[in-house]
Amino acid sequence: MLILNCPNCGERNVSEFRNGGEYRPRPACPREKDDLQWAEYVYLRSNVSGVQKEWWYHRAGCGLWFLAERHTKTNEITATYRWRPAAASSEEERKADG
Amino acid sequence: MAERLPPRTGEVIDREEELRFQFDGEDYLAFSGDTIASALAATGVRVFSRSFKYHRPRGLLCCAGHCPNCLVQVGEEPNVRACRRRVEAGMRVEPQNVTPTLKRDWLAPVMRALSPFMSVGFYYKTLYRPSWVWKLGEPLLRAATGLGKVSVPKIPSEGFDKQYLRGDVVVVGAGPAGMSATLSAAGQGASVLLLDENGQLGGHLRTTGDTQQRLPSLLEKVRAAGNIRVFTETTVTGWFDHSWLAAVRGHRLYKIRAGAVVLASGALERPLLFENNDLPGVMLGSAAQRLLRLHSVKPGQRAVVMTANDDGWEVAADLRAAGVEVVAMADERERAASSSARVDALSADVPVFWRHTVAAAHGGSAVQAATIVPLDGDGDTQAPRHRQDCDLLLVSVGWTPNTGLAYQAGVRFGFDEKRAELTARDMPENFAIAGRAAGTHLLEHELAEGALAGRSMAAAAGRGDAPAAAQWTQVQEEKAAEPARSAPWVSVAGAGKRFLCYCEDVTEKDLYTAVAEGYDSIELLKRYSTISMGPCQGKMCSMNAVHLCARANAASVDETGSTKSRPPLQPISLGALAGQNMEPVRVTPVHDWHLERGAKMMVAGLWLRPERYGDPAGEVRAVRERVGVIDVSTLGKYKLTGPSVPDILEKIYINRWRKLAVGRVRYGAMCNTEGIVMDDGVTARVGEQEWYMTTTSGGAGSVNEWMQWWMQSGWGEGVQLLNRTDDFAAVNLAGPQARALLQKLTGLQLGNDQFPYMHARSGAVAGVPCRLLRIGFTGELSYELHCPSSYGRHLWERLLAAGEQFGILPFGVEAQRVLRLEKGHLIIGQDTDALSNPIAAELSWAVKLDKEDFLGQRSLIRVTERGVRQRLVGFTVPGVSVAPEEGLQIVALGSNGKRPEIIGWVSSCRFSPTLNEVIGLCWLPSEIAETDGAEFNIWRDERPLAARVHHGAVYDPEGARLRS
Ligand code: FES
Ligand code: FES
Ligand SMILES: [Zn+2]
Repeated sequence: MLILNCPNCGERNVSEFRNGGEYRPRPACPREKDDLQWAEYVYLRSNVSGVQKEWWYHRAGCGLWFLAERHTKTNEITATYRWRPAAASSEEERKADG
Repeated sequence: MAERLPPRTGEVIDREEELRFQFDGEDYLAFSGDTIASALAATGVRVFSRSFKYHRPRGLLCCAGHCPNCLVQVGEEPNVRACRRRVEAGMRVEPQNVTPTLKRDWLAPVMRALSPFMSVGFYYKTLYRPSWVWKLGEPLLRAATGLGKVSVPKIPSEGFDKQYLRGDVVVVGAGPAGMSATLSAAGQGASVLLLDENGQLGGHLRTTGDTQQRLPSLLEKVRAAGNIRVFTETTVTGWFDHSWLAAVRGHRLYKIRAGAVVLASGALERPLLFENNDLPGVMLGSAAQRLLRLHSVKPGQRAVVMTANDDGWEVAADLRAAGVEVVAMADERERAASSSARVDALSADVPVFWRHTVAAAHGGSAVQAATIVPLDGDGDTQAPRHRQDCDLLLVSVGWTPNTGLAYQAGVRFGFDEKRAELTARDMPENFAIAGRAAGTHLLEHELAEGALAGRSMAAAAGRGDAPAAAQWTQVQEEKAAEPARSAPWVSVAGAGKRFLCYCEDVTEKDLYTAVAEGYDSIELLKRYSTISMGPCQGKMCSMNAVHLCARANAASVDETGSTKSRPPLQPISLGALAGQNMEPVRVTPVHDWHLERGAKMMVAGLWLRPERYGDPAGEVRAVRERVGVIDVSTLGKYKLTGPSVPDILEKIYINRWRKLAVGRVRYGAMCNTEGIVMDDGVTARVGEQEWYMTTTSGGAGSVNEWMQWWMQSGWGEGVQLLNRTDDFAAVNLAGPQARALLQKLTGLQLGNDQFPYMHARSGAVAGVPCRLLRIGFTGELSYELHCPSSYGRHLWERLLAAGEQFGILPFGVEAQRVLRLEKGHLIIGQDTDALSNPIAAELSWAVKLDKEDFLGQRSLIRVTERGVRQRLVGFTVPGVSVAPEEGLQIVALGSNGKRPEIIGWVSSCRFSPTLNEVIGLCWLPSEIAETDGAEFNIWRDERPLAARVHHGAVYDPEGARLRS
């Protein structure tokens, strides 16, 4: 059973959390996406074999949604942190926005 | 007790206390401390079970709980290992898989005759075509093969539990290396958990060498330390991510978080493959030592000892000391690894066959003789053959480290050809292996390695300093210089059945057949032949299978690799996994009243809700004609405050909110990103910057998480969301008399002009501060009252008392379902599923695609462009009184005998007492759904049932009553 380090509460068993899947920023203007781009955002996941940035929710705790960097093969978690608006201007976001 | 020896030091039995128990219908005596196996062996019992497939007699092989041969049924409990379970007075022990008795099993000769047709994978090859063959064959196979019997009604549902444990260092195995590791970790200040599957600490210190030399002082030190917790008879069954271990002791499952782990689980002695190597009386050398030293039981009278290392010579010496005659020694080596007094002494009066091996065991239900043959340089045998009478054939030819847990923790192993030992690589930093599990056999080396491992793991867990690397190097070098303990080959050429996997009755020949058929990689081989998939989980056969597979492929052991080890390492009862039944239940503040009133309760998610108090039809009539009240405290309830509430509502819901005036209520539905309906409910604007939102009962939790997600990733500026679900009780008062009733309890102006439909008010009702929402799920004039939970029951009781003069009735979920169906209202989750968008679900009126942005909008734009194929629509079934079951299919009847084609399904259906007609909601192809009155067929009881599309509510379609 994994241990996650909630940025608010500290280390807890994974059973206290809900996984929210791969971090995929929502395009700022969905209406401007064509069907293909939109389907890609809604349905496709990178499913990496390696470090994945993903959402976790501290359901049985403080109610924080935070981001974790987890290696999908070893389950090693190298970082956990709060979402910040800065992420909105990150490389990924721009890519997602096409 | 023919085979019991006089009292000896180190024995774990108490001869003062005799216990009577039953085996196979006969009475036996045991001493306290005996296992079922030792007590039976002490009276000369040799056959303990019948094998899985061929029903061959099987006897004690390992005496360590690591093989399938002694599995028995104890009372209601199947698959108990007789060599592990201690005898209790009155125990009823039965053999398993016997037809009909252990001694006379008529399936044995049948299976022997059939065995040529039961080659590896035979059921894949023979039982699949034509398909009825499997139907015929499966029950026969099931009857002939198998393990114990589970009597389902008698399985104890109680007594199983779980415990959580935590330790800086967890040491698995309490032999010399494990105890040494424990002491050195504890010495660094670490809290240590020491777990061992045996009844006593000590491991092989109790069964080999000079038992009295080291053990007492180690035991004393472990006992004296304050930071060591000891768990005996505790089996570790798996390693999971982040050093989470599962262990079982009896009915208790331990879930253990380890800072670091020392694996000191010892080694398993390895069986040798020769003709009839499964005959009772063929036993591993270490098994004989356990019987002798722990239980003072003589395993036989005349023994042949077959060995390839010095351990076998110790076994022989032990036997002689116990008065067992050693009639021959066969050693695969040229000579002993080191000259020793023991070898000299034995050689003086026992015939010793150097560079020989055993090619066959002979006998019917137990060993009567062994054939000893010379070996050549490649491990092949030569003439002359020497036949030696005996009743015991002991095999000590090598060891397999017990490292399943290490595999699970990510350790990988290579194979050291010189010593024929596995060597660990890719060791995680908080995992260490010591002692025989690490291929270290000499006691002094085991102790040194254990101490280093303990100290390193304490350091890994943040206690004390790690030892210098040079110390590790030294231990590794010393270990590498130890003489080899394991023979380089694992089977002896010859005829007859040579069993590789005892659990699954797989022979060496089966393995070669499987390889020849193309299953030549070890993982494929395992799945095809079922080798290593039996109750012992490969402890007796995995390593041998790897050797044989390597040989068959002309590859090295290293290249062949090994099969992946997965939890559980040992069989574990489902009861232990299930533990106690601890399902939480949620109840409303009015719960006790419902029970007192005799309500029939139903489970709704975690909630318990009244399904009905009496006749639901009567409850429906009360609401339609007079007044009724329902407990809706289970609704999700949220308080939203801040200047940006309209912004977030606009994004979360498919409909509009910005212009909702203070004091107004609006229905809203929300979608996920894919445009699938998630939840619905009403929200009131109760102040300029304060809103009160409700969700469905089932959606309360998920809506909170969903909104939090968006708010915490950019949409939360200027909004506070507070979950008040548990803080408020809620009741819905519905019916034409609702206003008159409520007016008796409140000073609020309730007239239709002062408090119209879809408005919200706050005020005291029956002295309780309430929020009142005038809404109408039931289709009648109705008020939903929300008040602090602690006043919930008071409010409820006052409403009922005040309603008496109007003929009020409380109503349950069932009546509510009928009432809403009469109005054509859908229930999300009941009438929709993970493919339902709001346009198809007849919520198009709420979808405002021209809003700036909302969740699901982009996907719904596409839905509108392409149109919907199926729609949710109301229907009636004329002329029947029994409502078709929900979930039934709707079909298009095929012309002239063609199969009906499924075109839809019934999502809700009830008999309406108001209209005296069966009504419902269903999913239909759009072209049918669009026509009011269109006919279609529900498939019920293998027959079509004609139904008719009905647009709009069947009851009060104009909605005059709710607005009255
Ligand atoms: S003899 Fe009991 S498990 Fe092997
Ligand atoms: S001997 Fe048990 S699985 Fe093969
Ligand atoms: Zn938290």
